[in-house]
Amino acid sequence: MPKKSIKTVVTANKESNAQSDSGIVIREIKKEELGKAASLVARLKRLNGEFDPLLKTTDSLDSEAQKTVERVASNSDSLIMVALVGSKVVGVVKADLKDRTFYEPRREGAIDEFYILPEFRRGSLGKDLLASISEKLKGRGAELITAEFPSQNEIAKRFYTKLGFRSLTNVYAKAES
Amino acid sequence: MPGNKKTLDTSKLAIEYSRYYQGKMQTAPKVPVTSLDDFSIWYTPGVAAVSLAVAKNPELSFQYTNRWNMLCILTDGSRVLGLGDIGPEGSLPVMEGKALIYKYLGGVDAIPIPVSAHEPEKIIQFALDIQPAFGAIHLEDIASPKCFRILEELKQKLTIPVWHDDQQGTAGVILAGLYNSLILTDRKLRNAKIVLMGAGAANIAAAKLLISAGASAGNLILVDSKGILQPEREDMDRMMLQNKWKYELALSTNAERREGNIDEAVEGADALIAASKPGPDVLSRSTLKKMNKGAILFALSNPVPEIWPKDAKEAGVRIVATGRSDFPNQVNNSLIFPSVIRGVLDVKSKAVPDEVIIAGAKELAQYAERDGSLTDEHILPTMMDREIYPLVAAAVGDSCVKLGISRINLTRKQIQRRAEEIIQKTQKMIDTLQKSNLIEPTSKVPAGKNRRK
Repeated sequence: MPKKSIKTVVTANKESNAQSDSGIVIREIKKEELGKAASLVARLKRLNGEFDPLLKTTDSLDSEAQKTVERVASNSDSLIMVALVGSKVVGVVKADLKDRTFYEPRREGAIDEFYILPEFRRGSLGKDLLASISEKLKGRGAELITAEFPSQNEIAKRFYTKLGFRSLTNVYAKAES
Repeated sequence: MPGNKKTLDTSKLAIEYSRYYQGKMQTAPKVPVTSLDDFSIWYTPGVAAVSLAVAKNPELSFQYTNRWNMLCILTDGSRVLGLGDIGPEGSLPVMEGKALIYKYLGGVDAIPIPVSAHEPEKIIQFALDIQPAFGAIHLEDIASPKCFRILEELKQKLTIPVWHDDQQGTAGVILAGLYNSLILTDRKLRNAKIVLMGAGAANIAAAKLLISAGASAGNLILVDSKGILQPEREDMDRMMLQNKWKYELALSTNAERREGNIDEAVEGADALIAASKPGPDVLSRSTLKKMNKGAILFALSNPVPEIWPKDAKEAGVRIVATGRSDFPNQVNNSLIFPSVIRGVLDVKSKAVPDEVIIAGAKELAQYAERDGSLTDEHILPTMMDREIYPLVAAAVGDSCVKLGISRINLTRKQIQRRAEEIIQKTQKMIDTLQKSNLIEPTSKVPAGKNRRK
C-alpha cells in the first residue's frame, strides 16, 4: 500500500525553474511578483463567487488578497508558485503544508489557490503548475496532495479527476440569517 | 425623432387591421377537391398506402408530403423586436408577420410556433420532437446567450436546417454589405480592421461569420458596454461560465490586445459595425474621426441608429449603412432569410452551415455590383429587387449540393428556376385571392376606411 492515496504528477524537469516549450517559466514567487499574484488570487475569488452566493466576494477583496499573499509569502509552511511569460505573471498556485494529526499519511500539501489567466488555460499549463507545486511539496515532506475548490466548479472537478485525484471530504454549508 | 408620427399611425392601423383580419396567415389546399369522393385518395383509404411507404422510408416525407416546404418558426418570445421578453402569445403577431414575409417573398409555408418553454434544453427537445413535420426550423427572437446554445446543439442534432435569424440572418446581410463596402474602398476582408460595437446575438454571429468568410480574427475588435473585449478583462471568468461564445471571441480577436473603450477600439479601424443600443448619440463624431480614411460604418440599432448618417458623413465616414429603409443602404434581414430558406428547402438540405450563408451573402453582394449600381449609397439591393430571391436561393442550394448536405442534387440553374416558379406561383395565388376579394382590401376595414380621407 503506497503512502499517498492520491497520485501526483511529477515534472520531468527537476530544476527549480521549469520551462515548458511555450516559453512559460514556473517557479517560486519573488517579492516583486506579489502584487500581480494577489490580483490573480482576487480573480480566483471572483470566479468562485460565480458558483455560489455563499462565495460572494467582499468589497475589500483586492486589498485583502494583497495582504493575504504578502502574509503567506513570509510563512514557512506555505508555498506560492507562479507561471511567467517573460516578466508577466499568468498563473499562480498556493499551498500550505499541514499536519493531519489523526490520519495517515500525516503530511499534507493543501492547495487552496489556483488561477491561470484565460488566455493561458488551453495548453498544459494547469497540469504543469500542479506538477511543479506537488513536486515542491513532496520535497518538503508532503505525502498527500489535496486541492480545495467550490463544489459547483465542474471545470476544476474534471481537471483534478483527470489527473488522478478523487473527492476526500465534503464541506456542507447553510446560511443562518 | 423623425418618423415618430408615422410610427404612431402605423401602430394604430396595425391594431385595427389585426382586429379585422383576425390573423395574417391561414392554410389552403394545394390539391384539387371536386367532390367528397376525392378524399378516398387524399385521405383514407388511399392515403394509407402513402403512409406505409413513408413509414418504410421516412425520407419520402420530403417527397410525398408538403414537408419539403414547411418551416417551423420557433420562439419562446424572450427577446421580441426591441420589446424584450413579452412571452409566447405576445410574440405571435410578430411570428405571423415573419410567416407572411416568408410566403410573400420566398413562397415558404411557415408556421408560427411560439412555445411556453423557456429553458434551452426544453426548447431544444421541442425542436427535435417537432422535426418530422418540417423541412427546416427558423428560430426567432430567443434571448442571448441561450440562443447560441440552442442553435449550436440543434445544428448538431437536427437532420434539417436550423436558422436563427438574429444570428445568421443579420450576420449574413452584414457580410454582404461589407463585401461591397470593401470593394468600394479597395480593401480586402482578410486585412480589414473591423470593430464590432455591441456583443449581442447579431455581432457575435457576425464576428464568427466574418472569420469563417476569411477575416482575420486578430483584426477584429469587439466592444460591449464594459469596453473592449480582451482576455484579461475582469469579467472573463463569468463570461466563460455564462457566454462561452463571447468568451471564445475575447480570446481569439484583438491580437493587439487593446484595452479601453470604443475610442481606443476604432483608432485606425477600416469598418465599424454597431449593433448596440438605439442612438442617435451612442456614437460621436469625434469617435468616428479616429477611423481610417474611407471608413465604413454600419449603425444598425433600431429604431434610431447609433449616430445619424449625416453626422457620420460629416465626421468623415465614407459608407454609412443603417437598419432603416428611409436612409440609403438598409442592412435588412429580409434580404436574406426568405431566399436562404427557399434555397435549403429546394434541395432538401440537412443543414445550413456558414459556407452556405457565405455563398448567399456573396450572391446578394454581387447583385448590387453586377448591374453597375454599386455606389457608396447603394451597397445592397433592396426588397424591391425581387430577382435577388431566386438568385440567392440558387447560390444557397448550389452550395448545399456541393457540400454534400442536400437530399437531392440539382444544378444551380435548376434551383433558380424552381425557386422562381414557387415564388411566382405564390404571388399569383396572393394576387388571385385579393382580386377575388377572398383577401379583402384594407379599405374594407371600418376604421382604416375612415382614415383614408
